[in-house]
Amino acid sequence: MGLREYVIRRTIYVFLLIVAVICFNFFIFRLPTFLFGVSPLDLMIAPEQRATMPYESLQLLYQNYGLVPDPDIFDWIYMFWRYIVNMFSGDFGFSFQSQRPVIDEIMARLPNTLLLMGTSSIVAIILGIWTGVKAAGDPGSRKDVGAVTMALFTFSLPVFWLGMILLFFFAYMLPALTSTLIDGGIGLPSGGTISYEVWIAFKDQPFGALAIAGDILLHLLLPMIALGIGGYGGYFLYMRNNLIDVMTEDYILTARAKGLDENQVLYKHGMKNAMLPMVTAIAITFGFLINGATLTETVFNWFGLGRYIFDSLLLLDYPVVQAIFMIVAITAVLANFIADLLYGFLDPRIKYG
Amino acid sequence: MSDVKEGRLRGTGWYISITGFWREFRKHRIGVIGVLALVLFVVMAVGAPIFATHDPSPSIKVGPRFMAPQWTEIFDPTGVVTKNYLLDPNLDSDSIGEIVVEGSSGEFTGARNFAASPAENSNVTFEWTHIANTSIEFRSPPDPNGDLPDTLDFIYYAQTFTWEYERLPKDVNITVSYNIVTTGDFLTNEYGGKMFELMLWVIDSSGNWTRIFDSVPPYTGSHVDRPVDLGFLDIVEGWDGMIDEGDGQEDPTDRLTVAVGIAPTYLFTSSASGPEPWTYYNGSVTATITHMECVAFGDYFGILGTTDKGADAWSQLLFGSRISLYIGLVAASLSTAVGVAVGMISGYFGGKVDEVTMRVVDFLLVIPRLPLLMVLAAFLGPSVDTIIIVIVILGWTGTSRLIRSQVLAEKNKSYVEAARAIGATDTYIIFKHILPNVTPLLFADVTLGVVAAILSESALSFLGLTDPSEPSWGRMLADAQIGGAFGNGAWWVVIFPGLMITAISLAFTFIGHTLDQVLNPRLRER
Repeated sequence: MGLREYVIRRTIYVFLLIVAVICFNFFIFRLPTFLFGVSPLDLMIAPEQRATMPYESLQLLYQNYGLVPDPDIFDWIYMFWRYIVNMFSGDFGFSFQSQRPVIDEIMARLPNTLLLMGTSSIVAIILGIWTGVKAAGDPGSRKDVGAVTMALFTFSLPVFWLGMILLFFFAYMLPALTSTLIDGGIGLPSGGTISYEVWIAFKDQPFGALAIAGDILLHLLLPMIALGIGGYGGYFLYMRNNLIDVMTEDYILTARAKGLDENQVLYKHGMKNAMLPMVTAIAITFGFLINGATLTETVFNWFGLGRYIFDSLLLLDYPVVQAIFMIVAITAVLANFIADLLYGFLDPRIKYG
Repeated sequence: MSDVKEGRLRGTGWYISITGFWREFRKHRIGVIGVLALVLFVVMAVGAPIFATHDPSPSIKVGPRFMAPQWTEIFDPTGVVTKNYLLDPNLDSDSIGEIVVEGSSGEFTGARNFAASPAENSNVTFEWTHIANTSIEFRSPPDPNGDLPDTLDFIYYAQTFTWEYERLPKDVNITVSYNIVTTGDFLTNEYGGKMFELMLWVIDSSGNWTRIFDSVPPYTGSHVDRPVDLGFLDIVEGWDGMIDEGDGQEDPTDRLTVAVGIAPTYLFTSSASGPEPWTYYNGSVTATITHMECVAFGDYFGILGTTDKGADAWSQLLFGSRISLYIGLVAASLSTAVGVAVGMISGYFGGKVDEVTMRVVDFLLVIPRLPLLMVLAAFLGPSVDTIIIVIVILGWTGTSRLIRSQVLAEKNKSYVEAARAIGATDTYIIFKHILPNVTPLLFADVTLGVVAAILSESALSFLGLTDPSEPSWGRMLADAQIGGAFGNGAWWVVIFPGLMITAISLAFTFIGHTLDQVLNPRLRER
């Protein structure tokens, strides 16, 4: 099977997957309505208000949100049709909770999530590759065993707890301990994305953007460290195991026989080849960036998508949930697809099948 | 008999393979550490009812919120000790406590009765015998919300203790056991019970009275144990004068008095419904006090302190191990079972079945995991079974891929072909030939699945999607986060539950890693 056929086949799979995601997305969030007959309108208006509302305005309300009172099977088919049309035209509707367009709500949070997830992933990847190569250079040594044990430790560490510990020491204990030296104490912010005072003070000044960026960085530091440590172990082990595999290949033996020094063998011949599977892993990671980190965002009160999807879920605000879910799943599908193609492109030995 | 059995056991293949496996396993230090830690956790889960000091329910209050662990008291020698400060709680000692009769009406008498034998209780008895038209002196102007009784004529019993600390107690519980018997009009009249009250006071050494309790009818004549949890303002009124913060203290001495007494109420001289009651009431009120204690809570409690709701953290921590182990083991075994079945079928039969199952796996892998866990947990309701089902639904995909690839490799080997050639059925081949060859992979997979399940459970309970009455480590962390443990410096509810989650996952990770190295020869060569 050639490359062309492979690409066509993967494309069909991706298309089918997206269709499956879209259908699943419709049904999963309407389960409470199917199972228990909960009407989402109950979230917006109190029963007393509903009783006194004119029939016409109630109808209008239903219509505005694309809902049907007491739906039967044909109404569901109609709603499903409206849902698909809206999804493909990029219209995600209005949030039940805030009554603002869902896309605006998402766009307000997306940069924060990307900033947090992006920086922490980059930290984890760089650290993972660097220490992974160091450990694989001398497998079985004390350094290697120690690093593997540390990586296993970060695997078992609940990231939200790590975040809580960091928060506790740097945002609460440190200011309390240093408050005798300096008024207010030194410490990091105890959560949130930006300080309101800083925003108010600097938003109109010519170089205010710098101060605001600095403030955001201060807020970013702790959650970034927590997520970075949480993700580190996976990259480290993957890099180390790949490199150890590569180091048993014949061309490494040849390189050594040529008389290259060990560093050159490790970095030029070993690491370059071991990076191939790493690239696909990184591509998949970036596909899941948008996913956000619900737990870490909850601990640090970070204004991002992960916490938004959770809060909306508890309130049955499904225009929001289904939109985020959809965006996340489709990004993941596409990232997987790109990773597959990338791998085929980077490694000519790969057989398509 | 047992010798024969052992001899027989020694000869079997199982015995040889297990001892051989263990000989290999114990060479890995982290594996042995993992097994030891796991044994500790199992002991913890099984023995939780024995080791627990209090009820593990997160909502049952055993003390003030955020008390530090008892053992940290060694860093703070001046800290308040939690105990009953009344010297004579059972009222046995003649030299401690006194009965005081106020006013000049002569209607109040008090007596102390000391137990003659251990079977009896000592007590203090107040008696108010009213004869119609005996005048009782009322306070004027009336102050219904004041700390003192409505009359100048009343009776009380008081015990005094010394507060040697220079800080407030964190909370105070005063308990008094009493019974009240009424006769005459106090018994028969509709409003008889409202003509008097049993009251509790805290009196500081400057003579300021703080009323902390007054009783309400009906009085059935049976015994009542009345615990009174003092509010913060009551504690300040009673104790603050004794605190010396470097600038001297308000009250002359560090002596504090707790008093219990009975007094007529203002209703007794009210003419709202006919003649004033004191002009025609005849009868008596007898109150018997058998027990009285004043527990002042310091800053320290129990082995691990208290949570934001004042529940015992140690007991919760112990019982939390049960849910983690249970969910971890059950969910991981179930999802492995599903994964093995799906992987075997799709790998062995191939074709359409394989195509469909692998597309389902692809689908489950791209669906965002935690949001889906949250959706399902939120919709199916907060119970342990739901969490297990949810984890299983999402957890089997990895195993099925692993098993499928292994089965694909095995099924074309010559021994399978040979078995098929002599007429073995598919079921026979799967169970007798292929399954034994893929099981070594499974052990490592199950243990790592346990870690994933434990972490998922703690994440879900941290988000509040599990049963709120069930003690769990994730929920303890959630309570700490929401209940303001950070602001109160309550590190013990932040550190220990997370440490437990990490330790139990680490134990399983270590075991899984070691199993992988021992059972998977490809890795062992490294």
